[in-house]
Amino acid sequence: MFKYIAKRIAYSILILLGVSMIIYFLIRLMPVDFIQSKINAINQGGATVSEETVTAMYEMYGLGDDSLKGILKGYFTWLAALARFDLGTSFVYGIPVAQVIVEHMGISFAIALIATIFEFMIAIPLGITAATHQYSFRDYVVTVLVMIGISLPSFFFGQMLKSIFSLKLGWFPVSGLVDATASYTGISLLIDYARHCFIPILTIVILSIGARMRMTRANMLEVLNSDYIRTARAKGLKEKVVINKHAFRNTLIPLVTSLAGLLPSLFSGAIITEQVFDLPGIGNIALDAMNRGDIPFIMGYNMFLAMLSVLGVLLADLMYGVVDPRVKLE
Amino acid sequence: MDELKNKQAEPEVVDTEVPLDKNVRLMSPTRMVVRRFFRSKLSILGLVMVISLFLFSFVGPLFFADTTADYSDDTKWGEIELDESGKTEYAISETTYTVGGAEYTVRQTTEKYLKDNFLATASSEHIMGTDNEGYDIFVRLMYGGRISLTVSFIAVFLITILGVILGGIAGFFGGWIDNLIMRICDVLMCLPGVPILLIISTILDASDIDAKYRIYLLMIYLTFISWTGTARLVRGQILSLREQEYMVAAEAMGYSTSRKIFKHLIPNVMPQLIVQMSLSLGSMILYEATLSYLNLGVKAPYAAWGSMINIISTNQDILQNHLNVWVPAGVCIVIAVLGFNFVGDGLRDALDPKARR
Repeated sequence: MFKYIAKRIAYSILILLGVSMIIYFLIRLMPVDFIQSKINAINQGGATVSEETVTAMYEMYGLGDDSLKGILKGYFTWLAALARFDLGTSFVYGIPVAQVIVEHMGISFAIALIATIFEFMIAIPLGITAATHQYSFRDYVVTVLVMIGISLPSFFFGQMLKSIFSLKLGWFPVSGLVDATASYTGISLLIDYARHCFIPILTIVILSIGARMRMTRANMLEVLNSDYIRTARAKGLKEKVVINKHAFRNTLIPLVTSLAGLLPSLFSGAIITEQVFDLPGIGNIALDAMNRGDIPFIMGYNMFLAMLSVLGVLLADLMYGVVDPRVKLE
Repeated sequence: MDELKNKQAEPEVVDTEVPLDKNVRLMSPTRMVVRRFFRSKLSILGLVMVISLFLFSFVGPLFFADTTADYSDDTKWGEIELDESGKTEYAISETTYTVGGAEYTVRQTTEKYLKDNFLATASSEHIMGTDNEGYDIFVRLMYGGRISLTVSFIAVFLITILGVILGGIAGFFGGWIDNLIMRICDVLMCLPGVPILLIISTILDASDIDAKYRIYLLMIYLTFISWTGTARLVRGQILSLREQEYMVAAEAMGYSTSRKIFKHLIPNVMPQLIVQMSLSLGSMILYEATLSYLNLGVKAPYAAWGSMINIISTNQDILQNHLNVWVPAGVCIVIAVLGFNFVGDGLRDALDPKARR
């Protein structure tokens, strides 16, 4: 087991190396004078990018030297800094990129975690009813509804909910995380957070239920067709017991595995949803930084996301071995 | 696999008067699939949705849009033809004066004449009104559909070709080449989608590219990182097919490698590939729409469904009061994605040889 984990971690690092190479060479595809003009635009936009920051960035990425040796040297300098978790200094925010990410990923994580909890709580029962009543009217209705959910573009659906519930009906605040005019503390602050996050979370839940429900349904159907379910029924067990005790437990295997794989990605931020509701999560911050040409941030954020997804794959594989005793990790 | 499907073909009506062999109608596998496909109401619905959107986008402009190069047709509107018929905007301002204890309210109406007829309501002239610039929404909806559908088709086509070639090579030859391709897959799968496209979009900004071709280039880049799913599917399928008896027979017959691949392996991967293609068409439309919404894809003045919704991210008045500007485009996206998903699901069920329905 230990050997397996060590091997997987080494392999993950190899993958990250590959990702870092691609991201680095993408950045090197940008002409240097373009980068300079972007920096000028940021300076005009109010933020100040000091000469030192720019020189430090040029140094870090080895920009300006387009010979093969220069590119390689730049890559390894950047990689060495990356290994020390030094992602450079953000142009727009003027503080280290890692710090920007750490400061803003908490809110993204909180929203994504709550949304995921609701997603599982709604999708699993739906998937089970759809599977136990396969090809019935109920199955059709559930399937069609979640398919519509899958097909909705997040920006369109989010804006629609915002238009209806926040602007027309005025039930919820339009955007942001806290009411800027009021100064809440304690429990009322929490309520204010909840009011601001309700619609964004609703958007995420409705869009993501579909995939989870279909996964549950497919697993459940597979399990329901297996021999031991027939045995359980033949023994004369109640249908309720067969479904909830015998079948459901085995349906959980892929669900738990996918949950483990999902956990790291909860930190990555929902770019579009956060943009629509103007939440100060990491996704929105990143979008804004990228639109303004904050190159150190782009690089850092992309590496951060890649690390999260590598971690997710690793966790999912490990979890698979934990929840399913039939699987032996080698 | 073919024999299996033929076995499933059952006689329609059993008439004892007629000899049995006249009564059994053997159906080709393709016909069986078609029949199973059309038996599902959802797949028919999906097909209807997709076909009507195609007609709307590709045939619609011939009837409802100004297709002349210089927009000389005065009865119809073109994609980037502004309605310059003018518009008068009234702004009412109130000022309250207090003179000698009594309050007087002076209401002043300013009349402003504007060149473009923007945000017009639906009328016989503009079926769905005009947007915030003064473009005809209905016409742009059709042209936007052209872009969205074309771009998605190109992307899916390229992804499939790349995926089949690389996945096929990996699965057929195995060994180090398989290892190499699969490791590249692992790396590409860890690349974040939208953020990487943001970088690529910045690179495209750096090199002056015509707004019209930008989205095509972006989608071509997208294919370079999205072929992994198809490649894995093809590889897995070929790995299992390679071990089957008919491939051993092909080997024993001394067939050439290319014949084995193109005549014996690829056709057997086709069912899964078709399903994958129709499902990824839906996700590509969503991708394109998201990019255009973020103003990275199709840029003004050209229309795409996503970019027609873009305006509401900054303009709350339109979001609340001018639903005709952005809702139709969103509905079109939903119809397209839903249609392709229904068709894909229907195809999956229809192509599944184990399915009895």
